[in-house]
Amino acid sequence: MFKYLATASAIAMATTAFAQEHDHDHDHHDEDVTLYRVFVGDHAGGSVTALDLADPDHRWQFDTTGQVKLFGVAGGATVAAVQSDDNAVHFFSSGISFEDHGDHADIAVSDPAAIDTVLTGPRPFHVVDHGGSVIINYDQGGYAELIDAHHLSHGEVELTTFTQSQAHHGFVALLGGNLLSTVASDVVDAPRLGLQAFNADGTPAGELATCTAIHGEAFSGAYLAAGCREGVLTATASADGVTYNMLPYEADLPAGNTTGTLLGSTGIQVFLGNYGANGLVVVDPVDAPHFRYIELPFRRVDFALDPVHPANGYVLTEDGTLHQVNLLEAALTGSVKVTEPYSMDGHWNDARPRLAMAGDEVIITDPNAGLLRRIDTDTLRETGTIAVEGAPYNIAVVGGSGIDH
Amino acid sequence: MTSTQAAPLQVVATFSIIGDMAGEVGGDLVDLKTLVAPDADAHVYEPRPADAMAIARADVVLTNGLEFEGFLSRLIAASGTDASIIALTDGLPTMEEPGGGHYHYVNGEAIFHAGAHDPHVWQSVENAKGYVANISAAFCAADADNCTQYQANAADYSARLDTLDAQIRASIDALPADRRTVVVAHNAFRYFEAAYGVTFLSPQGVSTEGEAAAADVAGLIREIRAANAGAIFGENISDTRLLERIGEETGLTLSGTLYSDALSGADGPAPTYIAMMRHNTSAITAALTAE
Repeated sequence: MFKYLATASAIAMATTAFAQEHDHDHDHHDEDVTLYRVFVGDHAGGSVTALDLADPDHRWQFDTTGQVKLFGVAGGATVAAVQSDDNAVHFFSSGISFEDHGDHADIAVSDPAAIDTVLTGPRPFHVVDHGGSVIINYDQGGYAELIDAHHLSHGEVELTTFTQSQAHHGFVALLGGNLLSTVASDVVDAPRLGLQAFNADGTPAGELATCTAIHGEAFSGAYLAAGCREGVLTATASADGVTYNMLPYEADLPAGNTTGTLLGSTGIQVFLGNYGANGLVVVDPVDAPHFRYIELPFRRVDFALDPVHPANGYVLTEDGTLHQVNLLEAALTGSVKVTEPYSMDGHWNDARPRLAMAGDEVIITDPNAGLLRRIDTDTLRETGTIAVEGAPYNIAVVGGSGIDH
Repeated sequence: MTSTQAAPLQVVATFSIIGDMAGEVGGDLVDLKTLVAPDADAHVYEPRPADAMAIARADVVLTNGLEFEGFLSRLIAASGTDASIIALTDGLPTMEEPGGGHYHYVNGEAIFHAGAHDPHVWQSVENAKGYVANISAAFCAADADNCTQYQANAADYSARLDTLDAQIRASIDALPADRRTVVVAHNAFRYFEAAYGVTFLSPQGVSTEGEAAAADVAGLIREIRAANAGAIFGENISDTRLLERIGEETGLTLSGTLYSDALSGADGPAPTYIAMMRHNTSAITAALTAE
């Protein structure tokens, strides 16, 4: 049985604290409904648990080939389970899908389900969901697969392949009418060279933009940003192609560090990136200063941006403290102890907490405790825990608030 | 006893046209920041951290409303502001977007959703006077001590707008009745059309966000020919390439630039609302008068 909700979009509604007066009144009785669905991968691999946040006992179990990294894609209708060490990508219909009606969208809610098509290829890694395509880079294959996001939201996996000149740990993203791909050197062990625009058939559509050892990508507003040794490279689409701008690291930043992971705000045109193990950097792609540094008391374990309160982000440090980050102030504005310490020493893929946002909550996996921890973003208090079998590790949350017709 | 100078009212205007009006009413009594600059498109603007910080500090935020500023709700959420958020189209007569509302079906039940309203309300000078009245009221509510001055400024500005309105009417009325159709990039002039009697044809809807569909463009070309449109204009916020293609199909060459949703820079022909309306009227009448 399907349950229908109406919403401007799950994310948009979730991020809207202010509603403009307008005449989109519905001539029927509506009811506000909030639904978040959480997908959690087990650290040992081979298993994904899905559950409704409002009713955590309402849950589903899925098998995968190995350990997953989870991404909510196609507007949250689908969850991609990327298994880099096992050369596979599974997809799950999240059970929350959207139908656009112009000024609003309805969403249909049903049970989540595994999509039959499983992608296989040499070391799938970065997933970029932008511009109507979900693009998976195969780091050891020298290619990326493009999946039509609309069809994927209906459980259909339609693939086209983009071939790179060299296999490398990189990404491909759709920007305007071009595919932007990281470009690697043909010299063994040389750092990646930068970013270049290509036509769909693989022919270059512009010059290489140097971005040495390019890693990490995020979209915010009109910009794609990526971390480089020299700084952060931004790219924007225009009628004349792609425009690049290198934002060099400024002299007042701690020397010897770079940005390699970026998150893009959905609310204001700004990025939050890592900067060394003990720091974060707020990146403004337009106005100077382009970088504002935030020092952390301990090394960073994971960080996330808050789509409901776009000025805020959250970072967990290895002492088990969750810090609220204000991007406008470039400062930590609150801290709370949430887990036992998780040292960043040891293997990079040891079981450590991961963060995801669900409305007014931060959901934190606590692998050693076998729990999801729910932290209220207003009070920074733990409002509850959810037990998950095994070692809950990577996490994705889909859903939002809407109107029930 | 010494008197202290009160701090100026902190005002944020979302885009240049509202910013100009706010400056006319507020004068030196307000510290004004305008988010979307001259020649920039508010339909697709992406807010910056500095914008959120300005709104966080603001006493009054002046917006157009009617979903013109698609970025606004995200920005206000980001800022956490306590400012008064004023939609200047509140209480003004507005037009529903072409196409109106729509039905969709849920469990067999037909549900009607009313359409959005065309946000370009300022394109009628009479409506602009409504904006000015709303600005004055907002400033008085936030800064009662200076209300008399705000009202005096508004009255002076409204008198100049009355003169402007009369000038536009006289200019358009002088055109031959069969020379009153022009083409422009996006459908931003419906209020001008209703107020002054010039018909505007556009390949793009009331927002610049979506691209014109090929079928719509083909239909527009037929419409241009049927209406014997006399001129085609670019906009300061839009690319002109599509218009140039339409011009090639219809035998029209670009007659200049209209300022629809944003003022020009200080050195341009439309640095204020009054200059913008005069420029647009002059450009339209000159093109339609020319043989």
